[in-house]
Amino acid sequence: MSAPERGGETTYLEAIRQGLWEEMQADDSVFMLGEDIGLYGGAFKVTDGFLDRFGEHRIIDTPISEGAIIGAAVGAALMGMRPVAEMQFIDFMSCGFDMLTNVAAKNRYRWGAAVPIVVRGPAGGGVRGGPFHSGQAESYYAHTAGLKVVCPATAYDAKGLIKAAIRDDDPVIYQEHKYLYRRIKEDLPDEDFVVPLGSARIARPGRDLSIVTYAAMVHVALEAAEELAADGAEVEVVDLRSLVPFDEETVLTSVARTGKAIVLHEAPRTGGFGAEIAATIAEKAFEYLEAPIVRVTAPDTPVPYSPPLEDHYLPGKSDVLEITRRLLGY
Amino acid sequence: MTKTQETELSFPAKYRLTGEMEGCADEQKLELFERLLKTREFDARMRKLFRQGRFEGTFYSQIGQEACDVVIAYQLDQQDFVGPSHRDLGASTGKGVPLKNLAAQVYNRVDSPDGGRYTACHYWHPEFWVMNPSTSIVMNWVAATGAAFGYKMLKKDNVAVAFCGDGATAHGDFHEACNFAGVHRLPIVYVVQNNLWAESLPVALTTALTDLSHRADAYGFPGISIDGNDVVETWNATREALKRARSGAGPTLIEMKTYRWHGHSDIDPADYRSDDEVAHWMERDPIPRYEQYLRELEVLSDDALTDVRARIEAEIEEAVDFAENSPRPAPDGYLSHVYAEDYPGFEFGDRNPGDANG
Ligand SMILES: Cc1ncc(C[n+]2csc(CCOP(=O)(O)OP(=O)(O)O)c2C)c(N)n1
Ligand SMILES: [Mg+2]
Repeated sequence: MSAPERGGETTYLEAIRQGLWEEMQADDSVFMLGEDIGLYGGAFKVTDGFLDRFGEHRIIDTPISEGAIIGAAVGAALMGMRPVAEMQFIDFMSCGFDMLTNVAAKNRYRWGAAVPIVVRGPAGGGVRGGPFHSGQAESYYAHTAGLKVVCPATAYDAKGLIKAAIRDDDPVIYQEHKYLYRRIKEDLPDEDFVVPLGSARIARPGRDLSIVTYAAMVHVALEAAEELAADGAEVEVVDLRSLVPFDEETVLTSVARTGKAIVLHEAPRTGGFGAEIAATIAEKAFEYLEAPIVRVTAPDTPVPYSPPLEDHYLPGKSDVLEITRRLLGY
Repeated sequence: MTKTQETELSFPAKYRLTGEMEGCADEQKLELFERLLKTREFDARMRKLFRQGRFEGTFYSQIGQEACDVVIAYQLDQQDFVGPSHRDLGASTGKGVPLKNLAAQVYNRVDSPDGGRYTACHYWHPEFWVMNPSTSIVMNWVAATGAAFGYKMLKKDNVAVAFCGDGATAHGDFHEACNFAGVHRLPIVYVVQNNLWAESLPVALTTALTDLSHRADAYGFPGISIDGNDVVETWNATREALKRARSGAGPTLIEMKTYRWHGHSDIDPADYRSDDEVAHWMERDPIPRYEQYLRELEVLSDDALTDVRARIEAEIEEAVDFAENSPRPAPDGYLSHVYAEDYPGFEFGDRNPGDANG
């Protein structure tokens, strides 16, 4: 595979690849490490062609040692580098949990030292990955002060956010949704752009109800909103893009306008990031609310494997339609 | 060994098996052969069915490495604990798990031991004490260490056997488990299958050691490296290690040098390896070497081989039939098995507990 070409119709995966490539090109302190990222080009081919272009000293195939991968990234960051560590599946970030939550997250707090690392990798279900290959890790890390968490839903944001994440001076968890890798594409601008962390986007405007969501569920919300438009309902879809920092203002402004809110995410309900969103709305926009805030999430189970099970597990358009209709009539 | 001419060998003469299999009766030798061949044939069949799109998900072929699993698993008692990884079909077939349950697992149907909740091609069976492999690499190794600890606490004679690959030995938890087992002299045999690759990563990028058995030095128990494609050597080494574990003398780490013929999973073309390397290892195929050995001992005749093949073929047919006809799980069939009891406050099915209609 050759150098990514800027502009034109670009998949979500290719957008990430472009963003990584451009940042590596622009800044010699950026390097990547992870399992099978060099010779093989990554399990999902996000880093295809990088070894040829940037060489072994900047594209490092590591042993299966997530703790040491994240640890090496942290250490190199302290030396002034900007490492990007790939987790082959985001689920395995758990193997480096201590390095992330105790070391990377608290380094600035403990001794003022910046740890500008990015830990990125594929998350999410819908690809028949089963309990260890389909997880969503955001709430473990959003709960740890010092870490930033990014969850892009579109090709534009995937590119703009990876670039912002690499340039950021704090540790950023960049969670890619593997279901979106090759399923969505859009025209991207020819010129350089970044999407700042902490800015949500109105993915579809509306005045009757707000669906606050992120990652693959943005597309589920948009499909539902489209269908509801036929009934004359105007549903607004807010795509958070990054969870930490959290764009409270965009969410509250939306809810203040519509008076009703659904919080939608693919991760299980209990302790999910949706609880945080719902609590913020309840605390700060209570007087605007005309109905209870309702969460639509996966149930509190691991992600099951067999297709009929996984299809039932994942929140889908019909779930969103059902709850939206109920709330619209509230 | 006199009856066979060199020219009849289907592999280079230097790979010919010699020596005794200690304490292995002829019927056992034959039964072991049947399990090896069954493992090979079943794997090949499942691989084909995967390519035909007969089941969803993924497939990890063990072809080429069967002896590493089957020979040790065959020697275990039913209640000896086995902790397989993602490429350990032989850990189940070697221990005698019926093919039909394994096929249903691959097909992720209700008759899978996990009812389709868990990832396909993760062979296991609870009644045979073969635990469900952990996709998160090497966690099976850690859990098997815990099982050995349990046996020790309960003063049972059982042993645990853990499997992993060369790549997995780089994981921090590999070391924690081995160290723990060394300190507590646990009844466990650790088997590392060094097939030279961890996905696309050559073993030289996993370790600076040449023999992975040297890792054992750091934990204070013996480590040996053997030819995992040599059934005789593998039998003798594993027999010794199992004896040691059962006698209370503690763990052994066995590195088995071997090779996977196919890609990491069946969607991997494995073009990071040279054709020469693959050809070199195919010549060292454990099964014809062992077959030849048994013929030379006059334990295996043409007639016996015909019977063995017929039995295997029949069991595979039955297994595939069973899996294809096993129902898909009911869509909400995954909502149980999360806790001993479901309890209010956690949501297992209803996506909408805050009933908006009040
Ligand atoms: C913690 C963790 N990291 C990464 C992976 C992805 N992965 C699955 S198998 C594998 C390679 C395993 O290599 P090895 O241990 O040599 O076993 P082999 O596949 O060769 O049998 C990798 C990297 C994983 N399953 N778990
Ligand atoms: Mg290997």
